[in-house]
Amino acid sequence: MSYFTEYKDVIQEGDLALIWISRDNIKPITIDVTATFNTRYGSFPHKDMIGKKYGSQIAIRTKTNKKFAFIHVLQPTPELWTLSLPHRTQIVYTPDSSYIMQRLNCGPSSTVIEAGTGSGSFSHAFARSVKQLYTFEFHPVRYEQALKEFKDHGLLEENVIITQRDVCANGFTIKKGDLTSVTFSDTEESVDIGANAIFLDLPSPWDAIPHLDEVISHNEKVGLCCFSPCIEQVDKTLEVLEKFGWTNVEMVEIQGKQYESRRQMVRTLDDAMERLKDIKKRKLEGVERRKRQLENLENDDGNIEDEEEKKILEPQPLTEKTKYNPFGKGSRIREGDSNYEWKQVTKMETEVKSHTSYLTFAFKTMNKTRNEEKVGILLASLSKKK
Amino acid sequence: MGESWTHITLDQHVIIRLPSEKCKIVHLRLNGSISLGKFGAFNVNDVIGYPLGSKFEIYYDDETTEDVEDSKKKNNRIAVGKIRLLSGIDKKLEQLNGVDSSENNKELINLGNDIQKLSTADIEALKKQSVSSDELIAKIIESHGSFKKKTAFSQEKYLKRKKQKFAKEFTVDYLSSASLLDYLIDKGDIQRVMDMSEESMGLLLNLGNIRPNGTYLCMDETGGLLAYFMLERMFGGDNDSKHTGKIVIVHENEHVNLDLLKFSNYSEEFIKRHIVTISLLDFFEAPTLHEINSNFTPLSKEEAFDLKGGKKNTYYRKLKWYKIQLEIIKCATEIEYDGLVTATTLNLPSVVPKLSERVHGSRPIVCFSQFKETLLELSHVLYDDLRFLAPSILETRCRPYQTVRGKLHPLMTMRGGGGYLLWCHRVIPAPEPIEEPEGETAAASQTENAKKARIE
Repeated sequence: MSYFTEYKDVIQEGDLALIWISRDNIKPITIDVTATFNTRYGSFPHKDMIGKKYGSQIAIRTKTNKKFAFIHVLQPTPELWTLSLPHRTQIVYTPDSSYIMQRLNCGPSSTVIEAGTGSGSFSHAFARSVKQLYTFEFHPVRYEQALKEFKDHGLLEENVIITQRDVCANGFTIKKGDLTSVTFSDTEESVDIGANAIFLDLPSPWDAIPHLDEVISHNEKVGLCCFSPCIEQVDKTLEVLEKFGWTNVEMVEIQGKQYESRRQMVRTLDDAMERLKDIKKRKLEGVERRKRQLENLENDDGNIEDEEEKKILEPQPLTEKTKYNPFGKGSRIREGDSNYEWKQVTKMETEVKSHTSYLTFAFKTMNKTRNEEKVGILLASLSKKK
Repeated sequence: MGESWTHITLDQHVIIRLPSEKCKIVHLRLNGSISLGKFGAFNVNDVIGYPLGSKFEIYYDDETTEDVEDSKKKNNRIAVGKIRLLSGIDKKLEQLNGVDSSENNKELINLGNDIQKLSTADIEALKKQSVSSDELIAKIIESHGSFKKKTAFSQEKYLKRKKQKFAKEFTVDYLSSASLLDYLIDKGDIQRVMDMSEESMGLLLNLGNIRPNGTYLCMDETGGLLAYFMLERMFGGDNDSKHTGKIVIVHENEHVNLDLLKFSNYSEEFIKRHIVTISLLDFFEAPTLHEINSNFTPLSKEEAFDLKGGKKNTYYRKLKWYKIQLEIIKCATEIEYDGLVTATTLNLPSVVPKLSERVHGSRPIVCFSQFKETLLELSHVLYDDLRFLAPSILETRCRPYQTVRGKLHPLMTMRGGGGYLLWCHRVIPAPEPIEEPEGETAAASQTENAKKARIE
């Protein structure tokens, strides 16, 4: 069983788990009773996690100021894995990958080809939902890394087969002797792939498309998605798609956005006016006070030399600054402070992925005919029954 | 013959796409015939066995005599034609082969209808003579006074428009959840499904980690479309699926509304196996075992068998009730769900935290809403609750392009809306860590302190 395909209840020795420290700091670990997970806030021994339910918060006191510090232990999902991932290449993010899976109708009857594997992020998402995934990686080092990762994640024993291959030059057929995770029996010479969904994340998909006929399912409509960042690539892809009989071509772009939930202080016109009036009033008071002081000084023929006496004549105003301060100016107010009124607002993340890639979809049915004889017999027998 | 999700089969709902870019859902009955209005009509038996996604053309010859009632206008009979399979590859280029075109449109003067020598009556007459659509369009082009003055691109556009109007073609497609959504959009029924979009649903399915073996808690105010998206991802249209996944749908009315599932090709039995429905009241105020046991005691098989007539009926009716009650208790109090997925217009802060009590730790919660503001309100509530990790509000939009080579650009208009998602994970807050001997005294408000120290 893979850590990605089985719902686990409690954290156990040997599990692959994700440690959530913060939104942009999620770390994969393998649970080992003798190991400790270290953060700059303190150390979390794995033995404190074992036996707890997945999703548990683990709390410690920090060494320095004895405050609480904590982490959450999560079971990996393809989406969380995508956030925690060691990037070997640019990855396909969830808004794109989820749309592609939806458009290609991915489910338990899907047999998918993916090229290239890259960081393996999309492979995990495919593997969760489809019957079988054949993923191809051109780069030998990345192939080895992905092979190891898929093995560690239990995907190879489930439904993933990875092959090292330049599909543009050599196509998709997997044969005995290839660098692949397939184990062939004595009688098998090659793998019968029969894919009904294909995802090409390659610099030149037009070189790979002509090879697809050999490996796609002949008896159903097959869906294809090419993932290309440049419009020139799309143009070349369209040409080849038409040439090789792919139809219903459609190109789209996905824009994903994330919003932060924030609060803005409700500051009314009345309060602003009131505050201005207050400032004006105090200013006037100050002016008058200074005027009186001046007058006093003028009337004073130098008799009052003592500073103390001066103060008695005109007392300094009380610190009136804080008297009317509806917006908490000058002090640090926490967003959402219950002494103030707040309006809930959203703020778009500071940097958005404004362009990932163009998604070109196309479809092809190899065998368009029906078996007239079989259909005829079926219809006749059913009609008779009626 | 192929499977019902790969090939056109009898007793199946399919979506038919017409040249006008409209679509239609039909049920394929043995020996039946289907009318497509002005695009003609065809016999169901003629399309059975072809792969789903096949494109056909309706044609008429001397042998075609039958007719069928127009689905739109009663008393209007439409002749049932014969069909031939089309390659699916557009024939536009062939049809324009040999036709002159202009470098630009400087000689093109807008004369309105006068440029077309065929009158509407002429065209209607031609249609009555059952000329094939290709011949008809060829005649229209022939009779167009300044067709040659159009640029090649504008000729293509003209041809496309004429095809949308006259081509007697149709495509039979699998009625996927997305096609059903397409159909509702086409019918202007999008509010019924809370203005959802295919991309929002795709994102929901992935963020919700929807798998064939999960048990999901769900609120579906979209008449079953959300449930259909989930079923398709979990079982792929296979009525005989061995996967054990389940969706428990909690509903606010006395009876659940999953009307749209009637278009799916899942059998009643399949839906019974994989969908359980419970009202909010039953879910939150489930009966206790003691209560139901005091109302009914199941008999042994032999005892039940020995009951007579009316008593027997009463017994089995009560037994059914008893089993439903047991199921309610199980769903409402025993199952720890593998995810919570909602599409509801109920006030979210009142319902989502309560439903989430039944969700297992580390499992995702995904809420769909037509409006960002309702999710915003929810996210503030969840943010202050230690049982929820990192609530985020997400939006995804698909921007379609024109895919004519050399003229690639985003389409000039697209559908607005599509809704928003809130995504977070259910987590289990830690109890206070044990005080170390030399530690300072615990703070008065421990949760408050704990929140502050959250390493974020």
